Formats: sequence, structure tokens, C-alpha cells
Amino acid sequence: MTKILNPFYEFITDLIYFLGATGILARNIAIDLLTPPRYPRLLIDQIYHIGQKSLPLVIITSGSMGMVMSLQFGLGLEKFGGKFYVPKVLAVTVLREIGPMFTSLMLAARVGAGITAEIGSMVVTQQIDAIRALGTNPIKKIVIPRFLGCIISIPILCSLANIVGNLGGLIVGTSELNLDANFYILKIVTTVNLKDYLSGFFKTFFFASIISITACHFGLRVGNGTKAVGIATTRSVVVSCILILVCDFFLSKLFWLIEKWI
Amino acid sequence: MNIIEVKNFRKSFGPRVIHSDVSFVVKKGECLGLIGGSGTGKSVLLRSLIGLEKPDSGSIIIQGNEISSLPERELVNVRRRVAYAFQDGALFDSMTVYENLAYPLRAHFNMKESEIAERIQSQLNEFGLPEAGQLYPANLSGGMQKRIGLARAMIMNPEVVLYDEPTAGLDPFNTKRIQELILKLKAKGVSSILVTHDMPTAFAVCDDMVFLGGGKVIASGSINDLKNQADGPIQRFINGEL
Repeated sequence: MTKILNPFYEFITDLIYFLGATGILARNIAIDLLTPPRYPRLLIDQIYHIGQKSLPLVIITSGSMGMVMSLQFGLGLEKFGGKFYVPKVLAVTVLREIGPMFTSLMLAARVGAGITAEIGSMVVTQQIDAIRALGTNPIKKIVIPRFLGCIISIPILCSLANIVGNLGGLIVGTSELNLDANFYILKIVTTVNLKDYLSGFFKTFFFASIISITACHFGLRVGNGTKAVGIATTRSVVVSCILILVCDFFLSKLFWLIEKWI
Repeated sequence: MNIIEVKNFRKSFGPRVIHSDVSFVVKKGECLGLIGGSGTGKSVLLRSLIGLEKPDSGSIIIQGNEISSLPERELVNVRRRVAYAFQDGALFDSMTVYENLAYPLRAHFNMKESEIAERIQSQLNEFGLPEAGQLYPANLSGGMQKRIGLARAMIMNPEVVLYDEPTAGLDPFNTKRIQELILKLKAKGVSSILVTHDMPTAFAVCDDMVFLGGGKVIASGSINDLKNQADGPIQRFINGEL
């Protein structure tokens, strides 16, 4: 019986520990954000690394995603004579769900893994200790630039993914489903509204926080040796992806309630 | 006057007790050698002196201030006065040597960039690496990284320096250079603790020694007294019996 229960017990204790530690980290970020010194150059570096360097990944994945979805919707709806609904369905789905979530999952893998591996290596080579020993604060110098870099870059990348995703859909819609390009664009413009866009856009701030705080948490808590860096990186990506997927449901529900209320 | 006082220091990691009861003092301008076999917790003790590790119990008093219970934010003032020279330098690998040395100066002093550049150049000259400023740590040898690490630790003119094996892996010429630097700082009244296995360096620079073993101080005293004991801890350590 103990053998069966042990994994559950370990999971629960790990979960409680993770929530406590990330909660403390989030609190420290909030406190240190308000006080000097600030490192604007490091923030610009992070925006470059997180934002600009992720552009090819975001464009390729969101474009492919839009094309595949357009094709599947088209083939599925064609049976019921609903091929003409493809632009409407695709646009709303991409803006509200798939664009922000899919892009965030991609960035959790690319950016989250990078942050954890980099900070983990700094822990192993005592660079984080050196920051502390020199009387400076690793939260300000290491965590906050990465947190803000994600908060600034990820919503922009997700907005771009929305556009590219719909463009992918348009390409397949015109070439494979024989829909007229003007018709396709008109349907998108007349269907989607600001609420559809904002519902997805606001989620990205939560996803950016999840990616950056989880990645920094696992990076800062790396044990000894390079093997520990690998383990922490894997855990960081897995936990970020799970949290994004779970939070997406609750955020969708929350924004749905807010929309109804407004 | 005691600059550092460690009383009944106890530290464990899980069930493993590293130090059960360690006490010693360091006087102003004195260099204390912290000697012991590998795994006796010398570096853990040294890290605790600037709050990188928290003791389980006991007290650490630096310049009259109890630091073992201070929160991270209040340790900043202690760390400005107490420098820690890491064993492998712990240089920031994304920064050049110049940026590494400028980092503490920019963080703590309101200096002009020209003053920072001047201070860094004089520090590099003193450590025998006058042209290393624009190199990255990855372009330096292990010994050079160690010397830059020492240069960074000392650039804020600390009142206390904690050396974690500063001569390990260095050639005799650079070992001598580091010994001379420690002696030069001592002459200026800087107190220090030296963790080392390099006994010639310990003999050259230390005034007192503390031998650690089994989580406790097994011998302590002035270097001359310990050196003259025929079957004392120094001889047993050198002979590999301690």
C-alpha cells in the first residue's frame, strides 16, 4: 500500500514545495521591481534573445498551425457544406485559443529551457554566489530582466502568431479549398472583434509569467553538477507546459465570465 | 580587536553534520589559516562568514555585528566590506574581464566611467594581467581566471578578505605573486582567512592556524607554535596522517 501511495505523496509534497517557492520568488520579483538599481541594458538584451530570436520559430509554427487547421476544418466542414465557415471558425479559434496557447508552449520550450539552463549553469559555476558575495541581488540582476523580457516579448510574439496563423489559413483556404481571398479576408474582418483578440492577448501575460518564473525557479534551485542542469531544464519545460494548459482552461472561463459581465 | 568571531558554529546538510562545534577569532590585520582534509567543511565555513550559508546554530560576529541571523537584504553592507575570493574565480562568463571588475564598482560606488577604467587598469597591472581587460573568461587559463577573481574580490578595498584556496592550481611564480598580494594587504591592516591545502603558502602568509577535523577544531594556535611541535597537527597533516 505504501508503495502505491509513495508516488502520490511525493507528487503532493513536490507540488506544495513548488507553489511555495514560486510564490516567494514572485513576491521577491514584485518587491525588487519597485526599487533601484535597475538594469535596462540587461532587459534590452533579454528582449532581443527572447523576442527577436524566437521570431523564426513563432512564424514557422504559427503559419503551419494555421495551414493545418484550415485544411482540417475545410475537409471536415465540406461534408456538411460548411466550407465557407472556415475563415470564421479559424480566425476566432486562433485569436482566442490556439495562437496564444500554441505560441506560449513553443516559447516555454525554447525560452524556458534556455533560461533554466543558463541560470543553472551560473549556479553550478558559483556565478550566482558571486553576485550575492559582491553585495548585489541575483533577483534584480538575473530574474527581473528575464521576467520583464518575457512579459514584453511574449504578448507581441503571440499577436504576430495570430496574424501569421490566419495568413496560413488564408493560403490553404484559397489554394486547397478554392475559397476567394477577398471573401476569406472579409469573413475574418466581419467575424472577429476586439474581445476575441483581447481574450487571447491578456492570457499571454499569465503565460509569460508562468514561463519566466518557473524557468528561473528551476534554474536557481539546480543542484550540483551538469546532470542537475539537464534535469532542471527538462522539469522546467514540462511544468511550464502543464501549467499553461491547465491555466488556459481557467483563464478562458474567467475571460468568458468577464465578457458576459461587460 | 577581534574582526571576526565564530562561536559554537554548527552546520549540517540533512542528516550529515559538517560542523558540530567550531569557534575561533581573527584579529585586525591578522591572517588565519583554515586547514583540514578534503570534505572537512572549510569552504562551507568560509561561505557562512558572508551569509552564503546559514548556520544551524552558533554565532558569527563580523566587526561587532552578528550576521548569522541577518536577512539577505541586510547582508549587503557586510558584503561590501568582506570580500570572498572564490576557488575557481566565479567570473561572469557573459562579461569581459573589464565588465567583471567594473560590476561591483558600478553597483556600490557613484564613480565616473573614467575613474572606473583607471581603477580597473591599476588592478589588472597589480595582478599581472594588464592586457586582459577585453578578454572573456573563456579565453583565460584557469590560473588567470583565479587571479581575475581575486582582483574582482579586492577591487572594493575590503576590510576583510576570505580566500578559498587562492593558490590551488597555480604555478610557483603566480603562487608567489598571490602570497605577496596577501602580505601586501595584511600590511595595510586587512584581516583575512585563508582556506588552503598549500602549506608553504600558509606558512608564508598566516599568523594563526585552525585545524578542522570531524566537525570540530582539533588544534589551533600561532603558526610558529604549531610548526615547532614535532608530532603536532601540522606535521601529521603534511605526512598525510590528519
